[in-house]
Amino acid sequence: MIYVPAFLVLIPVVTGILILMFRNERMYLLAFLAQTLITVLAVSYFFVFRDDFASGAFVLGGWPEHIGITLANDRLSMSFIFLTILLWWVVLFYKYEPRKTDHSFLFFFLFLQGVFFGLLQTNDLFNLFVFIELTTIVATVLVGFKKTGSSLRAAIYYLLINTSGILMFLIGVLLLYNVFGTINLLHIRDNMEAMDSERLVQLAYILMMAGISIKAAIFPVYTWLPKAHGAAQSAVSALLSGLIVKSGVYLFIRMNQMFAALSLDYVDFFFIIGALTAIVGVVFALSQKDIKQILAYHTVSQVGIVFMGLAQVDAMTAHGGLLHAFHHGMFKSLLFLCAGVIIKVYRTKNVSEIRGVMKTMPFVSAMMIIGMLSITGAPLFNGYISKSIIKYGIEANPFQYAALFAVNIGTAASFIKASQIFFGEKPLSYAVKKRPPYVALAILSILCLVFGVFFAPLSDFFFTVDISHVSILSARGILEYALYLIAGYLIFRLIIKKDGSLIQRLRGFRPSFETANYVFVLYMAAMALHFIVL
Amino acid sequence: MSRKIILVAALGILFVMFFLSMEEMEDLFKNDAKLYFFEHGLDDTGSSNLITAILLDYRLFDSLFEAGILLVAVSGVIWISRHDFEERNAHFMLDKYKTPELFVTLSRFVFPLLLMLGFFIILNGHLTPGGGFQGGAVVATAILLLYYINLERKTDISLIVAVVKFAYLGIVLTASISLITRGEIFTNFMAVDAPTMSKYIYIIALDILIGINVALCLWAIFTAFLKEGR
Repeated sequence: MIYVPAFLVLIPVVTGILILMFRNERMYLLAFLAQTLITVLAVSYFFVFRDDFASGAFVLGGWPEHIGITLANDRLSMSFIFLTILLWWVVLFYKYEPRKTDHSFLFFFLFLQGVFFGLLQTNDLFNLFVFIELTTIVATVLVGFKKTGSSLRAAIYYLLINTSGILMFLIGVLLLYNVFGTINLLHIRDNMEAMDSERLVQLAYILMMAGISIKAAIFPVYTWLPKAHGAAQSAVSALLSGLIVKSGVYLFIRMNQMFAALSLDYVDFFFIIGALTAIVGVVFALSQKDIKQILAYHTVSQVGIVFMGLAQVDAMTAHGGLLHAFHHGMFKSLLFLCAGVIIKVYRTKNVSEIRGVMKTMPFVSAMMIIGMLSITGAPLFNGYISKSIIKYGIEANPFQYAALFAVNIGTAASFIKASQIFFGEKPLSYAVKKRPPYVALAILSILCLVFGVFFAPLSDFFFTVDISHVSILSARGILEYALYLIAGYLIFRLIIKKDGSLIQRLRGFRPSFETANYVFVLYMAAMALHFIVL
Repeated sequence: MSRKIILVAALGILFVMFFLSMEEMEDLFKNDAKLYFFEHGLDDTGSSNLITAILLDYRLFDSLFEAGILLVAVSGVIWISRHDFEERNAHFMLDKYKTPELFVTLSRFVFPLLLMLGFFIILNGHLTPGGGFQGGAVVATAILLLYYINLERKTDISLIVAVVKFAYLGIVLTASISLITRGEIFTNFMAVDAPTMSKYIYIIALDILIGINVALCLWAIFTAFLKEGR
């Protein structure tokens, strides 16, 4: 039982290689088998160790802790593992076609799962670097999987910008190794107090956070995300936005735990960055017409909300941010998968050309509406819960509250715009042959509802955090949601629909790779100025 | 222009930061891990080359996935540049009239030596500097010289990739045997107090597998890029 973390990493990797080796059409079964095995292992591991996760930590090879690689779990990593398993099941069901197996896709897909488990469970900084790099490379291949010119360009863009981020992370790790003589995360955390005012450690913090920011796609360095989503297939977009972006959020939490004793005030800085991310994401999303670009920019803005929650001193608000990352993983993958089905049927991505989805695909539109209600934060859906916790935490500060309010209105406006596709009459000139992936969409939408209604016991079960103070049917919550919708509708009618020159310019804004790197350097310099000089 | 000035200013801030921090580097220096390796490295792993001891024993999990990076990179490059594998690879790039005769002759002379050096580095990873990763790269260089020697050379990439997969599975399996023999995962399958000679078996086997993996991966990537270069 104690070696389950290692098996979780190895099982998907080995299964992926086996699938690639024996190109049989029934190989899909093997993927399902591996998934079942992983699920059983992870769940039983959780039940065995849930009272004392520290006793489940072990060093690979049995070497002393400060030189070997430790694999360890806690409630945070276990929850991310469950989210990973969930999303991988969903995408497996989504891509499943009887008697047809895409071996290459399955290989990269399963390999990504394995290395992602590694990233979540390792307790060693260099090992973490290896897994971040592998995740990036596998995700690059998946983004460029269609082999068209634009997808390859987006893939290379993704690879290069993320690699430059990872290199900064590596330099930070090297500095820490020099100072502490070990790269075991827990050992560094325990010894951090003695080093709390050393400039070298602060520099390491800045470099590592800069790398993580690129992974998490926050404000100045988010440019790879819309490009990658626009080019990748919908299933890959769902994974990227549901989980791979969350690796940045996960690392942000982990590294801040490690640097906890450092006397740096990260709260203010990352709150401002988070708020900027959220607002910029919403503004760009409002200007877009391509449905996948709209969803991609909303990933940026929702990650911004996550950071607004995480960058708070109050533990409950930070928990709200974490919870929002999970909820976002569910509803955003649901939205991407639904959009994928619609795009395939209508053969266009433009929201002003797709009409009458409600009539042609009632099931898919019902699922998509659930996703939209969740992301806009309607009561009874999971987005409402996490947004409410963040709202309670920051409402004392009027500026912070106003930022969240504006983002919520923008989100509502943008999804009112996207919901045009459901109405109207535009019967397709051809019959819809393929059945929609019922199972995949149903799982996610049911979970959106379950996490919106039974949030208190679920949060208690996974995180042992009591959030029963959130009331789902309070007058205030409903009133505020109505306000978002009305204001959003007005913005849509009065500004977005006119499609003025400013909106057109925003839509055409495509920063080059050079600009992205330029901004990255500026971002690092800003961090250095904020954290050390000031 | 203003853009460049801002960039220089930002880089200047980072440089000053770095410079100021580096002063402390001497004082804040801890080498627990290094001393540990010096003291116990040979006894623990049976490898007098401590780099190999770290790569193949103390931190085998890292090496496993560094070899995995190569596997994924090769599969990705092959997937993205899938063409007819029977093409004559090097013909367009290595023009016979432009490649000096002297170079070809010299390549013929160097090829066996380089191959031998590569094998030597792989097989003696536990004694001398080197090991699977380094030796694999040397062997790959030797193989690439063949493209100069014989311009008509054909390479079947899909065969290479198939072998690489087996080699990678072999690495994973060899690394996991210790779970059965010792109850520890990812280490030498011989006990810690076993004689040094018997520990060599594991190191050499793993070095050979990693060498195969690296050499074939680099070969495949090079060949795929040669085709793409068209």
